[in-house]
Amino acid sequence: MISRKAFLKAGGLSLFGISIGGIPAFMAQAAELIEAPKLFKRKKILVSIFQRGAMDGLMAVSPFEDQYLKAARPGLFMSPVKIGNNNPLIDLDGRFGLHPAMRAFEQVFRDNRLAIVHGMGSPNSTRSHFDAQDYMESGTPFNKGTSSGWLNRAAGLLGHEATPFQAVSMTNSMPRSFYGEIPTLSINNLQDFNIQLRANQMNTNRVSQSFEELYDQASPGLLKSTGKESFEAIKMLKSVDTKNYKPANNAVYPNSPLANSLKQIAQLIKMDVGLELAFAESGGWDTHFNQGAENGIFARNVNDLSLSIMAFWTDMVQYQDDLTVMTMTEFGRTVKQNGTGGTDHGRASCNFILGNDVRGGLVHGKMAPLAIENLEDGRDLAVTTDFRSIFSEVAEKHLLISNKNQTLFPGFEGGNIGVMRG
Amino acid sequence: MNKPILNYFFLPFIMVFCVIFFSAYVESSPAEIKFPYKNAGLSEREAAAHLLNRFSFGSRPGEIDEVVKIGLEKWFLQQLAANQKDERLNKMLSSYDAINLSNAEVIKIFPKNAQLVRWAIRDGVIDKDSVNLSDRKKYREQIAAYMREKGYKPQAELFRQMINQKILRAAYSNNQLQEVLSDFWFNHFNVSITKNISAEYIPAYERDVIRPRVFGQFSDLLIATAKSPAMLFFLDNFSSSGTEENTKRPLNANVQMQMPKVSSMQMGDSTSIRSQVLSKLQENRKNQGLNENYAREVMELHTLGVDGGYSQSDVTQAARILTGWSVAPLDNSYGAPLKKMIDKVGVETLKKRGFVFDGDFLFAANRHDRGAKTVLGKVFPANGGYEEGLELLNMLAKHPSTAKFISRKLAIRFVNDNPSEKIIEKMTTTFKEKDGAISAVLLSMVSSPEFWSAEALREKTKSPFELAMSAVRSLDADIKQPFQLNTWISKMGQKMYYYQAPTGFPDNGQYWINTGSLLNRMNFGLALASQRIPGIKFDLLALNKNHEPESSEAALWSYSKLIMPERNLDKTIERLSLMLNDPDLVKKVETAALQNASPKSVIDEEEDLILDDKTQNKKVANSAAMAGDNMLAQVVGLILGSPEFQRK
Repeated sequence: MISRKAFLKAGGLSLFGISIGGIPAFMAQAAELIEAPKLFKRKKILVSIFQRGAMDGLMAVSPFEDQYLKAARPGLFMSPVKIGNNNPLIDLDGRFGLHPAMRAFEQVFRDNRLAIVHGMGSPNSTRSHFDAQDYMESGTPFNKGTSSGWLNRAAGLLGHEATPFQAVSMTNSMPRSFYGEIPTLSINNLQDFNIQLRANQMNTNRVSQSFEELYDQASPGLLKSTGKESFEAIKMLKSVDTKNYKPANNAVYPNSPLANSLKQIAQLIKMDVGLELAFAESGGWDTHFNQGAENGIFARNVNDLSLSIMAFWTDMVQYQDDLTVMTMTEFGRTVKQNGTGGTDHGRASCNFILGNDVRGGLVHGKMAPLAIENLEDGRDLAVTTDFRSIFSEVAEKHLLISNKNQTLFPGFEGGNIGVMRG
Repeated sequence: MNKPILNYFFLPFIMVFCVIFFSAYVESSPAEIKFPYKNAGLSEREAAAHLLNRFSFGSRPGEIDEVVKIGLEKWFLQQLAANQKDERLNKMLSSYDAINLSNAEVIKIFPKNAQLVRWAIRDGVIDKDSVNLSDRKKYREQIAAYMREKGYKPQAELFRQMINQKILRAAYSNNQLQEVLSDFWFNHFNVSITKNISAEYIPAYERDVIRPRVFGQFSDLLIATAKSPAMLFFLDNFSSSGTEENTKRPLNANVQMQMPKVSSMQMGDSTSIRSQVLSKLQENRKNQGLNENYAREVMELHTLGVDGGYSQSDVTQAARILTGWSVAPLDNSYGAPLKKMIDKVGVETLKKRGFVFDGDFLFAANRHDRGAKTVLGKVFPANGGYEEGLELLNMLAKHPSTAKFISRKLAIRFVNDNPSEKIIEKMTTTFKEKDGAISAVLLSMVSSPEFWSAEALREKTKSPFELAMSAVRSLDADIKQPFQLNTWISKMGQKMYYYQAPTGFPDNGQYWINTGSLLNRMNFGLALASQRIPGIKFDLLALNKNHEPESSEAALWSYSKLIMPERNLDKTIERLSLMLNDPDLVKKVETAALQNASPKSVIDEEEDLILDDKTQNKKVANSAAMAGDNMLAQVVGLILGSPEFQRK
């Protein structure tokens, strides 16, 4: 809590020149237009994207040389060979092929900024979406009772003064990853972050100022301090205009929930409001039925994922050194296609990590040939990399917080896999 | 299908029990029980306000007078007896057709989406190749028609009704304490809609497991939750079993032998479905074995507390004791193979083999680890069967750590976020002496000076649900669309029935109040007061006996006293009045209203969409004249969004 008070002292009141009992805010709208000096030293930012529903890692990044895969997936297997009008896999390294709908990722992979970890997953073999997501987000794969999420613990471990925007989830409700003691913000639309009144601007300002007064003179404590922060935050966000936002660097965001979340995260980052941990979600990965190959639901999903992330990355051209984007998904899908043109719940999947301090251009992790004897329970891609190895390495190398006392990942003793530089 | 009959069968007994149980207090009580509020310097009305703040979802207009008239002690005992008539509420609830269904009925009427698709394919209504393909509209129509024909309803409707009934009960029940405690105990034994497999059992869980037991013995509550499908699925115990070795019956092992056979016979729809079921079975078989999740949480979260003095070995051994505690087969994909087996072998035969059938609960003796176990030093000899599970839960319920853990948790809910050791000690002693009688523990809490102290008064922050409920109750609102309130409650940070962790929502102000949620609380107050929340109606003037306040300052004075009775708000009001009374304010507002051609914010535009044409026209036609009406709504909105109203 000390850190948040420090934020108020440092920034809030003095910056915006609010003098209680002085000029009413609505008389001084012009004052708000004065550009604020940069308040916060730029910090490292981690953007986590949860792909809910379990992405088929074998289709996203396909071991196209594997004859077992080819046999197990007659309707889903793709090859990097151009035959007629087909849209072949993008050959990454002679062994793995990127799904053609993710062409947007190719350049950053070749530039060594995008890393892929294959065979990533949880040591807990549950194939329940709920349980697997719960374990991945709490960061404790064998303990349901962990009350906090790993990103909340990460926020706590950052150990420096924070703003109300230190950890922001662009979701309607707070994700499990954010549960915990550190105050975080879950918001679907930044535009909602205001006093909302069906009245003219002056009336709205009046009500807003009345609330500010009320909270200012509440007895010292949580409500008073949070009230202050809320109004400072409103003022910080005054300039947000999601409708007329102009991304930098000719970035074009797709029209999708994920892109919309990332676009708003980009706006927050550009406003220097102190964002360090951002969270967004992408849905529709539970492809039991007709997942398609070159085209179809899976192709649409990965297309949106890659285009959204790349639009964000392009837009963030000034900030790329401070950024890491990491995707995650609760598990992978069966090696064999099922009877309805899809795949069922499996074990390992893959994830994507993008950033300038990422050891990119590589498909990390181990994957044995997909012969039945190499599969987990005779059916699924085996988990060879514990998701916590990846998350803790990214946290350590990018955010400079370590799992030394097992605070970030209680009970986890595993080491890094070398997916980050340095 | 036996379930509802059974429930109704027991209802009279439960009621008789309650009457006997509480009459002891009621007869002897008001004279003997004396709440020590006078020593704390509180007037009777102030004390009544405190009682209502903590043991109801907020006071309705005039309710403090009612409580004073009844007598504070007697009111509390009435609430413990929970036998007040609820005609108005029952009439409202009677329009909800899903809230009284048994689990078996729920499963029949509200299939899961995936199940629905499978059935639709099986019945030839949709082609398996059309799922996820281009023509979404046609596909949706086909599914919708199929559901109509079969009488299926979407699960979302089940949950909508459950949430609505919770809101209506909190708003209108005359047995407020029962609702408050149902909320408390549900959260203590939390299950979540987010876990798909558990979700559909939650309405019956709250209704049949939690609500009837909120005042009784803690051990009853614990055992009932342990045996409920919602909990068995939520914390995975339904699938927990011993190894092939330790589950073997001494003489023959027919039952286990038959199970896989039957299972593989019974899936026969089509090849596609076959492969799915096969893989599911493969998964199930793979998942067979010990699952410690419930055993761990029952100690850590439900009884002893994390520092309650148990070890990992206790967890494992307790899990072994609870192997075989599972769910009776219902008419769904999980239950089908088991049902076949039971039909084939016969219930009576199975009972002889140690199976226990109790409503939706099943003790599957063939999956029970028969070996000896030791938990917390107590030895459970081999072949303890179902009974050793009961013994274990009773032991946990009566453990001294549990007495303290539960007492502390109750005190955190009802006294303050950091209750003193003194009051916890008192409650713990009562818990032990009265064998975990919850009502006795509550009574000992309210009879303690600490409950009435300055450290307790208005020190609790309302949860979003409590805030919304206290607001509608204070305005005597008529709730036609409860779900609209739920939308706001979620926005303020409490997505009810969706809290993912078994811990339940944390119960402290720190958790509920952050920059985003606080702002939503203020906006909730404004939206409610200006009647912008659809389906929530009230008459602000009637609240003030149709006396129109002559100024915004007067409005502030009268309405803050109406909405937050028995609180000293003079300072707050004075400060605000200064601003509201700005002599230029009315002029400024009018000028602004006339010049309202200023660029609209996005929010205004969105709200315009919500407005119906009539209101819209009226707004455009004479926004200046509306400033007067709005003034009262805005003042009330300010009161509801004020820091003072966030406390209880």
